[in-house]
Amino acid sequence: MNPLELTLGIMTAVGGFVDISELVFAAKAGSTFGYALIWVFAVGTIGIVVFSEMSGRVAIAAKQPVFNLMRHRLGIKLGLLTLVASVISNLITCAAEVGGVALILNYLTGAPYLPMAAAMTVVMIVSIWVLPFEWIERVYGLLGLVMLVFAAALVAIHPPWDKIAGGFVPHIPAGLSTKELLTFAYFSVAILSAVMFPYEVYFYSSGGIEEGWAPKDMLKNRITSIVGMGLGSLLAIAILANSAQLFGPVNVDPEIPGTAAMQAAIPFGKWGLILALLGMFFAVSGAAVETCMANAYSIAQFFGWMWGRHKKPWEAPRFTLTWIVLFALALLIVLSGVDVMTLVEFAILFSILVLPLTYLPLLLLAGDKKYMREHVNGPLAKALGWLYFAIITAAALAALPLYFLTSGGNG
Amino acid sequence: MRKSLPLLLLFAVGCSSSGADADLQYIKQARSLGAEWALVNEHSNRGHVPRIYVHSMHRWLRQNLQTAAKSLTRPDSRYGEEIRALLAQPDDAAPNELRAHVAMLKQIEDSLESA
Amino acid sequence: MTPDSPIKLVSELLDLPLLDSEGKYCGIVDDVEFSGDAGKILELKALLVGPGAYERRLPGWAFWLVRKIAGDRLTRVPMDRVRTIGAVVKLECAGRDLGLHRDETRVGKWIPRKGAL
Repeated sequence: MNPLELTLGIMTAVGGFVDISELVFAAKAGSTFGYALIWVFAVGTIGIVVFSEMSGRVAIAAKQPVFNLMRHRLGIKLGLLTLVASVISNLITCAAEVGGVALILNYLTGAPYLPMAAAMTVVMIVSIWVLPFEWIERVYGLLGLVMLVFAAALVAIHPPWDKIAGGFVPHIPAGLSTKELLTFAYFSVAILSAVMFPYEVYFYSSGGIEEGWAPKDMLKNRITSIVGMGLGSLLAIAILANSAQLFGPVNVDPEIPGTAAMQAAIPFGKWGLILALLGMFFAVSGAAVETCMANAYSIAQFFGWMWGRHKKPWEAPRFTLTWIVLFALALLIVLSGVDVMTLVEFAILFSILVLPLTYLPLLLLAGDKKYMREHVNGPLAKALGWLYFAIITAAALAALPLYFLTSGGNG
Repeated sequence: MRKSLPLLLLFAVGCSSSGADADLQYIKQARSLGAEWALVNEHSNRGHVPRIYVHSMHRWLRQNLQTAAKSLTRPDSRYGEEIRALLAQPDDAAPNELRAHVAMLKQIEDSLESA
Repeated sequence: MTPDSPIKLVSELLDLPLLDSEGKYCGIVDDVEFSGDAGKILELKALLVGPGAYERRLPGWAFWLVRKIAGDRLTRVPMDRVRTIGAVVKLECAGRDLGLHRDETRVGKWIPRKGAL
């Protein structure tokens, strides 16, 4: 195992962890409930680690991407249902990310929002066209590490570390009214959804095949999943904790994404804010690229088309056309005038509703000795996999009622 | 139809609350937007944030406040007045002035939540 | 497994990927064709590749959606062109000889061949 490659892989995972949904919900969770929702981030992170590791292992052992195997294992009808559900979910998520990027550029430069959305869509399309897969992942992931300014801000504001540590212990704050309890439940569901977005698993597993992972990369897969995503999640938790310390006491529950950047401005001034906005820009652009490509992977793999950015765009023409069209569709959604925060809410809702449909086939595949041979799920992976399937199914069932009862978490 | 009845009922409950209850989410939004505005202005006065960012934030905050104001089912209520008073403030209003309106909205919000 | 061996159609053949003699990916086994009649021995005659093969496997509305996205082209791969069936189906010949890359070639004409590193 090449230590440099492993380090780069971990850093890419860290920089690529936070997207617009996590940013928004981490900030709101902190200002609304203090440190009480930290444990939900931790629970969600363990979940995404479990399923990412599984999806990477499936890609290595079966030498095929998840969607190919999903169709074979589940049949064409259930495979098509899963495809349609995940494409819709990922498309809305991609639109939220594209809108988020344009918004952040507006905060940074004052350039108008809608033209920036169009311009950035073109930039992202060009970047996928020009760069080989490894560079796409590395450029966006490593530049996203500028988000570390949020972690630095947390250290600089001298928070109550004992309370932050206490936030990792699963608990529900005492003395909440019924409405507040329901809102707490809604935030828990939303955080789980944001952390365990389906596109992450599809992109990760297809990326493993793009990079030519072999059985010798099993350990690399495990370490990248655990360490990369674990550290990435700490960034999201830093945003939550900053919000609890800086925003909660002054009645701020960030209603617009730009407010999150104030977390770095307060301790570090102008340059802190600029770094925060730059970090957000790269992280959210990276997420836009990932969601779009995850959708293109799923569609191409389901229909048996040539796919992959390890090929030149003209060597996989239908795949190329697919991700360009998907980006255009995401842009159209943004240009229709739907507010970014509304897109984030819908992305979260759709994602949690399709999560059980996304993860069940993966769980079945990873537990099937016929495909996985000696790399089949062990007792721990099996237990955690089924536990998380139960958790996300419960969350999926509760999502819509909680959304309506709490007006989308607004009480 | 029978299978979707519980969901429809939940949806109806969510939509059909009385005026002040239905407006609670907009009161909260306006309260937070006012507080965000005050925070930005406070740090702008200290030179902690670039002018371009401040200008952008003012635009988006005001736009969202206007949306919240238009969404009220009881625009002539006490909270409707407070939101309009907030909107009437200049972009570079003093943070204390903005926070006075935020405090009023917070009071109204708390009393509605405890009712 | 060779094409002459007994086979479980659903779990061991349908929806498997196809690789040609050059190792190139050629699509997925979307359906199968039998020879024979009622009362006679059924033998696998060909593999069917392409969204046109979904028509008998999907409800009408679902096939309509698939046709809008992926078209309804169908390519026959005679069983005598199949070398082995395992985790993937390996062919005796190049995919282009069977017309398996027609759609990619057709769409490829729209994609400029420049700019990628």
